Amino acid sequence: MDLIKKAIDWGTSKSPWILHFNAGACNGCDIEVVDSLTPRFDLERVGVLKHGTPRQADILVCTGAVTLQTRDRLIQIYDQMAEPKFVIAVGTCACTGGIFDGCYCVTGGIDTVIPVDVYLPGCAVRPEAIISAVEKLLSSLKDDKGGAK
Amino acid sequence: MVLEMLLKVFIFPGFLFMSAYSFLVEYLDRKIYARMQNRVGPPWYQPMADFFKLMGKSEIIPEDANPLMFRLLPLIALASVATAFTYIPIYGLKATSSFSGDIVIVLYFLTMVPLTSFLAGWYSRNAYATIGATRVLTQMFAYEVPLFMSILAPALIADTWSITEMAAYYAAHPMHALINIPALVVGIISIQCKLERAPFDTPEAETEIVSGVLVEYGGKLLAMFKLAVHCELVLVISFYSAIFLPFFTGIAWVDFILYFVKTLLTLFILVLMRATMARLEINSTVRFCWKYLSPVAFAQLIINIIAGGVL
Repeated sequence: MDLIKKAIDWGTSKSPWILHFNAGACNGCDIEVVDSLTPRFDLERVGVLKHGTPRQADILVCTGAVTLQTRDRLIQIYDQMAEPKFVIAVGTCACTGGIFDGCYCVTGGIDTVIPVDVYLPGCAVRPEAIISAVEKLLSSLKDDKGGAK
Repeated sequence: MVLEMLLKVFIFPGFLFMSAYSFLVEYLDRKIYARMQNRVGPPWYQPMADFFKLMGKSEIIPEDANPLMFRLLPLIALASVATAFTYIPIYGLKATSSFSGDIVIVLYFLTMVPLTSFLAGWYSRNAYATIGATRVLTQMFAYEVPLFMSILAPALIADTWSITEMAAYYAAHPMHALINIPALVVGIISIQCKLERAPFDTPEAETEIVSGVLVEYGGKLLAMFKLAVHCELVLVISFYSAIFLPFFTGIAWVDFILYFVKTLLTLFILVLMRATMARLEINSTVRFCWKYLSPVAFAQLIINIIAGGVL
């Protein structure tokens, strides 16, 4: 049983499939997320694949401050993902609300709605930073003796 | 005797060998595809990591879906592929089991995989999955006829319906395989269509219908389905190379190496097609299969009936 658990933990740390969700960003960070999947950066060499459906994704890559329009959809998508699941907040707006903080139609950063594992500030973030965030998340899984959080 | 048979069916050259080889094939598929796009591509352990990760994830079954069918379908797909694999000669000329007429059985089990994926899409009760499911069936009507005709044409010359006897015939008369060259071309295009890979990947077109029939699948069930799909790839390239590339020496280990050479060559051509062509619309796929592939396959049938009488 221990061996099976080890194999599953190893797989979890080596095969992050991402789902990209725009919670109300200006599109700057979204361009950078797509950019990091292009041949120049090639996230597939660390095992990252972009999937279109939350059922198959492990990491929710969220950009932008959460608007009232997207709040319920974000919660729904998070609920549709299977455990273990992780969330990366990409960009300053996703971390804290950024320049949209206090706006009448904005609830704030991603962590006001769903739990966030990695905060990645920047306006807009660079693709290298996104790769580094994914690597940090995966290496934190490996250090954790109890396996996936 | 029973133990030997069980070992052959489950370990080598049966289920375990097929699964291990499917991981290698999936890796090579993704790696060559990435290199053709000027990327680095995944590391060699990537398919295994994906499989173990999916096995560890929690299981979600949609509220509207039929739980029994939803769970059962990936297993049926995997079981039918594994059963069909026992009829393919891997080393030497003899398969694990064979009888007169096993070509028909293998073609029947190959049809099971699209059928299960159609039912999986249908029972998911999701709009994307339903569109994907109807496309799977539509595509099936397109490729079945040229595929069956191109596979059965070589059997007409060999005058047998058993893969093992056919391999023995072509090993004895290798020059007769040259008559089957049109069927070889039609065959490789139709198996690309059967495996639902670009340019015939309309049923799972990610950019239009997310991932088609598998849109509601995640976790263990998705792992099973992915394994079944990649085992189907192994089965199809083994079947294809046993029929159209009949080079056998009769020495077991040389034939085993030859098996890898032949299947990986077939895989390379399939990846080349996937990397260089854009997706066709479903109506273009059907039109292409019926207008160009089927007549060529039919001409091959007629040639082989005449050749079978002369030779």
